[in-house]
Amino acid sequence: MELLDPTTEATAQRIAYVPRPRSLEGARVALIENTKFNSDRLLQKIGEILVRDHGAASTRMFRKRNASVPAHEEIVAEIRQTCDVAVAGVGD
Amino acid sequence: MASTLASKRHHVEDGTDPIEFCFEQGWSDGLPVVPPTEARVRAMLQAVRVAPDHQVAYIEHRAVAVTAEKVAVNAVMAGCRPEYMPVVVAAVKGIGDPRWNYHGPGTSTGGAGVLLIVNGPIRRTLDVNCGDNLFGPGWRANLTIGRALRLVMRNVCGSRPGTLDRGTLGHPGRLSYVIGENEEESPWPPLHVERGFRPEQSTVTVMAAEGPRQFYNQLSNTPEGVLTTLADDMRISGSVMGQPNYAVVLAGEHMRTIAGGGWGKKEVRQFLWERTHNSHAHLRRTHRMAGALQPGDEERLRPLVESPDDILVVAAGGRAGTFSAYIPGWGSKRSSQAVTVAIDA
Repeated sequence: MELLDPTTEATAQRIAYVPRPRSLEGARVALIENTKFNSDRLLQKIGEILVRDHGAASTRMFRKRNASVPAHEEIVAEIRQTCDVAVAGVGD
Repeated sequence: MASTLASKRHHVEDGTDPIEFCFEQGWSDGLPVVPPTEARVRAMLQAVRVAPDHQVAYIEHRAVAVTAEKVAVNAVMAGCRPEYMPVVVAAVKGIGDPRWNYHGPGTSTGGAGVLLIVNGPIRRTLDVNCGDNLFGPGWRANLTIGRALRLVMRNVCGSRPGTLDRGTLGHPGRLSYVIGENEEESPWPPLHVERGFRPEQSTVTVMAAEGPRQFYNQLSNTPEGVLTTLADDMRISGSVMGQPNYAVVLAGEHMRTIAGGGWGKKEVRQFLWERTHNSHAHLRRTHRMAGALQPGDEERLRPLVESPDDILVVAAGGRAGTFSAYIPGWGSKRSSQAVTVAIDA
């Protein structure tokens, strides 16, 4: 008997990663907040550590529309213009 | 339709049970599936008269195109008859709609199911249960159409428990969660007509949903009496800090009591909406709303859903018994909304 595969067969997809920065010294850090409770406080703490211990120049918080969607275009464009690295995460 | 099927083919040796083979591939939801042979898949596609590579939906945040062929393969496995295929296709379109926002309810720890409410003449053609034992079991259409949708989510969209399905608890409706509205016995306009479709059209409404919660009132013979009990049950349910929708399913006795008092669905929605507000004080005291009690919190009220129209009222369930049900949605209005799709039969 021959059966047809019900799954999505992976098609090759190239994802281009930006090279990782060698150091955060002087970097402008974007913090992408996913709107979940306390996510802003957690990211603020992370930002403070990046400035204090890793020499980042500044941090700036960006807020997604809601936790279930990717960061919207306006945020991404603004981060491209004004920041060097971004911290994003998803979780409860 | 002779067009080529693109799916990878698996040869099952004689002496190997094809059902066990499907289990071993990880294709099943935990129940035996019907082995998806080419003849069965072609019969499924024939029922909707589309090419195998026709894109039924595109799940943006997963970058997945759901083709008619994959829907057909999964509908076969779920045990659908070919004539159910138009409903499955419409439901897949619904969960692919940006307003439904697949990635949220398809992934979330909240563990929502997909409630499918079928309206229009196709309910009778396919024998979709609208009456006794509404949430099942016992009806092939109800059990297999919803199962087909879940298998598409699992096998095509990647919503597998433990990976891209992070449901903490899930619920039994995630196997299949299909009801029809009892339009023949309902005194009210059916859901699809309220949502802008013609009575003779058939539709499916998809709503990200928690499990059904039954409530009981055998004392009241007025709309206010029955709905007071319902509102009291509903008021603290689901995620009271944000809900896009509720479905309210009114079964025979309650339906007749409410209609007998001269109330329509609009009055039901308005009454329930007004009586399901919670004070900020209560929400803070019960640790649902963050932060310490503020002056004025006793008087400051938060509605369960943004608007009365966010409550979907459906007449369905058995004739006898003073029970009805309400179903909380998932997330918030920004995260996922119920979507109604026409069934092209």
